[in-house]
Amino acid sequence: MASNDLRDVLNLPSDSSTPRPAKKQKTAGPRPNLKGLAREVQNLGGDNPIAIVPEVSFYKKRRFASRKPAARWELRPFTNSARNDDGALVLRHWRRKTDHGPQADALPDGPPAPDAPGDDKPEDSAFAKFNVKVSVPEYTDDQYKANLQNNDWTKEETDYLMELCRDFDLRWAVIWDRYDYAPEPPPDETGGHGFTAVMPAPRQRSMEDLKARYYEVAAKMMAVHKPAQYMTRPEFELYEMMQNFNPEQERRRKEFALNTMARSRDEAREEESLLLEIKRIMARTERFNEERRELYNRLDFPATDKDIASFKSSAGLQTLLQNLMSTDKSKKRNAGPESATTAAAAAATTAATATSGGGGGNRRESVAASSSRRESDARGPATSAEPTPTTAASATAPSGSTAAAHKKKGSAAQQPERRKLSAQEEQVYGVSYHDRLGSGPTFRYERINKLYSHKSGQQQLRMTNALAELDVPPRLVMPTAAVTAQFEQLWGAVTTLVDLRKVSDKLDAEIRLEEAKKAEREKAKAAAEGKESGNGGEEGAGGKDKEGEKKKEEEEGKEKEAEAGEKKEEKDGEKPQDGTGTGTGTGADKDGKESDKANATGGDAAPEGAEASKAAAGDAPADGGGGSGAADADADAASIKEEDGAAETAVEEGDGEGEKTGHKRSASVLSAGSDKSSKRLKK
Amino acid sequence: MAPPTGKRVKGVQIFRPFVYGTTAKPFDEKTNPKPPGVPDDHTHSWTVFVKGIDDVDITYWLRRVQFKLHESIPNHVRMIEGEKGKPFEVHETGWGEFEIAIKLYYVPESAEKPQTLYHHLRLHPYGRTEAEKETMRLAGGEIISWAYEEQIFNEPYEPFYEMLTSGAMPPAHPLPHGPGGVGGGGAASSAASTPTQPGHHKSNSKSSISGGGGKVKDKDKDKDKEVQMIRSEGGVLERSAMIPLVNRPGQPFSRETEQVEIKKLQEAMVKVEEMVKKSKEEVQRKEARLKELKAEAAAAAAAAGAPAGK
Repeated sequence: MASNDLRDVLNLPSDSSTPRPAKKQKTAGPRPNLKGLAREVQNLGGDNPIAIVPEVSFYKKRRFASRKPAARWELRPFTNSARNDDGALVLRHWRRKTDHGPQADALPDGPPAPDAPGDDKPEDSAFAKFNVKVSVPEYTDDQYKANLQNNDWTKEETDYLMELCRDFDLRWAVIWDRYDYAPEPPPDETGGHGFTAVMPAPRQRSMEDLKARYYEVAAKMMAVHKPAQYMTRPEFELYEMMQNFNPEQERRRKEFALNTMARSRDEAREEESLLLEIKRIMARTERFNEERRELYNRLDFPATDKDIASFKSSAGLQTLLQNLMSTDKSKKRNAGPESATTAAAAAATTAATATSGGGGGNRRESVAASSSRRESDARGPATSAEPTPTTAASATAPSGSTAAAHKKKGSAAQQPERRKLSAQEEQVYGVSYHDRLGSGPTFRYERINKLYSHKSGQQQLRMTNALAELDVPPRLVMPTAAVTAQFEQLWGAVTTLVDLRKVSDKLDAEIRLEEAKKAEREKAKAAAEGKESGNGGEEGAGGKDKEGEKKKEEEEGKEKEAEAGEKKEEKDGEKPQDGTGTGTGTGADKDGKESDKANATGGDAAPEGAEASKAAAGDAPADGGGGSGAADADADAASIKEEDGAAETAVEEGDGEGEKTGHKRSASVLSAGSDKSSKRLKK
Repeated sequence: MAPPTGKRVKGVQIFRPFVYGTTAKPFDEKTNPKPPGVPDDHTHSWTVFVKGIDDVDITYWLRRVQFKLHESIPNHVRMIEGEKGKPFEVHETGWGEFEIAIKLYYVPESAEKPQTLYHHLRLHPYGRTEAEKETMRLAGGEIISWAYEEQIFNEPYEPFYEMLTSGAMPPAHPLPHGPGGVGGGGAASSAASTPTQPGHHKSNSKSSISGGGGKVKDKDKDKDKEVQMIRSEGGVLERSAMIPLVNRPGQPFSRETEQVEIKKLQEAMVKVEEMVKKSKEEVQRKEARLKELKAEAAAAAAAAGAPAGK
């Protein structure tokens, strides 16, 4: 075989006349099939068979070969379940007869399974399954009220939009085209009447408006049916997409697309060149920024978090200065090659350029300071000339600076590394963002504890009582964020309630006081009226009328005083008693010897004998005190009488008659004294 | 683990729900016989615990818990180290109720100081009303005093932040398929389907940090599957802050309970608002009355003054 090929290549005559067996075999394949004329024609072609001939024969043969009984077709009724007429319309179509089971299966477009023989029901159309409906969100009135309110859209219009969406299977172009919402159905006779003039003009909605509304409704209803936290991922993605639909952006996108399509070839070319230009500019700014950063790195100063005690002496300062200079030098030197060579080369020499920050920052930290120093020493004469630092301070300075640089780098590197959590992830992991946070771990319930602890003890008690009244348990069952927020609201409301109650209590007390005052006043008034009549009847001496009046006034003043005292120390047990004591005292006075009293206080108040009476009063209290020292406050009237009796019986007589002014005066003094003593006792 | 090198993540708050409390049971001949060696005067056996909601593992953020019991109990400070998938708990017997100080120590990555909670051990039925006590008495003799709490990490350090925001996976239960059986998820799916192996969580979370390209995609696919898994059960993911949707026996804390409570608070709110309104009216009325009285008093004084001047 191989020799055959060689001969062929070299154009040598082959000694064996046989052609290649492979070729022969190929042609031998189809040959036996041919018969008659066809074989002759085939032979004419020799080794290159003519393609047409066998094909024709094959086709013919096939046609004649499948001489089976012709397939039977029948006209069969069918319905289309996609129609909503409940199978009322029955059409018929030709179908292959399916008496033989296997043949029916072989049919590619045969009807689906329910095709049992003897089934008198007309079959369902194969095209019914293409009648799919999009699922348009549905909502009840309540749900609409709770979630879907929108200033721009009425419920009717939303309904209308949803209906259109359903009708046109969310084909937005069609929906937009057909969208013709009129707030009120227009009257039929549009021509004749003037109603049309008052009709509100239907709003022009753009496709984006429609979409935005639809997506808003759809997303909200989705969230209503299932909280976002528990959605599956595809569901959530859909939800998020619908929620983030931005009609403005969509509008701009379309506009942009329109513009892009409409531009001419020249414009397109110009745009391309502009893009290139931008790229170039960007690259340049990038490089510029890079250089600037380098410069900043070079200007970086050592961090001051180390102890500065070592720099306080002049020698320390000297070393610091040297040190800074040396680091500066090394930076300069190292920054030089780095900026000159490519980034790859810089990476190759990281060990050497460790101090210049960059990618080497990490390395530098791990490498011992001394070894890096040695390395830099080995690098050139400039380094060998630099003084070797000996103090600890000098060692800390460069490492501090690199640490600072490293820190900066680290944060810069970590910032982008932190994954951006999706909204779903945020919910799953319970992540939330706040403006102000005290760092560190706390418990959710602590907030509520704080609410309590910010109140005083009494207030706490009041709040607890109020909450118990409301049937709120003392500890929340589930202090989640939502519950705590709700509780805080409640807390605020309860606080106002408690405060209001306090105010109300205070008012109550004041009202009680005022009422008591009023009662007292009325009593006094009644008494005064009685007295006045008494005075009027008994009036012997002239000018007593006036005195009686004055006395009344004074009494009132006294009462007021007593009440003021009451007001001041209402809760004092003694005071009211005293008050009543005086009340009864005066009452007794009034009852027992009205005229005497009238004289007494009248005399007391009389302007002419003021001094004299005062002088007498100075004695009288002493007497009264001695006399009634053992006696109690309630014995005032009696003691007065006693004293009167003891001191001057005639006075009493005079009093009883109400004639002699001199006696009157002394009596008045005495009574005033007793009054005073009783007052003193009160105190 | 090395001390955290990162900084605090500013403005971020992450919470984890958990449950703590006590469960007590009186000794009984039949149901709860007294084990030997227990002093005669002890009447109850009780357990104090800290665990994850829905019994999920919380040891990835809580390292250990110290329970400070009453001084009369021998060895009254108990330190419980975290064991993966198990609650932190102390079993004891006793006769009296007291306050238990529960100190939570966080994992070293968090670099946070321990925090203390207080819980009152309940041995006897309690409640505000007799009816509440009675229902508790009837509830199988166990006195349950559990509290739901949320641990809030404000501005966690970066490594801890990573730990808290990665690796959520379905509750640890045996999966029907082997590692290779599920959708060809590869390495990530095998890690997810064997969550009981202690080392895997960490490796998984790391892969999610450093993983690029295809790996992340795999993980996403996996997560999708996980989310679907939990959703069907209404349960929660491991290492997540989720709260179960519905109550289940032994798991009284869920969204359901939360909703009930919110509703209750809202009702209370409405009531309070009504009361506030009412008392506001009352105060106004009282103020008016007081004014009236004062005016009267002033008028009376004036009237008393007028005749005096005559």
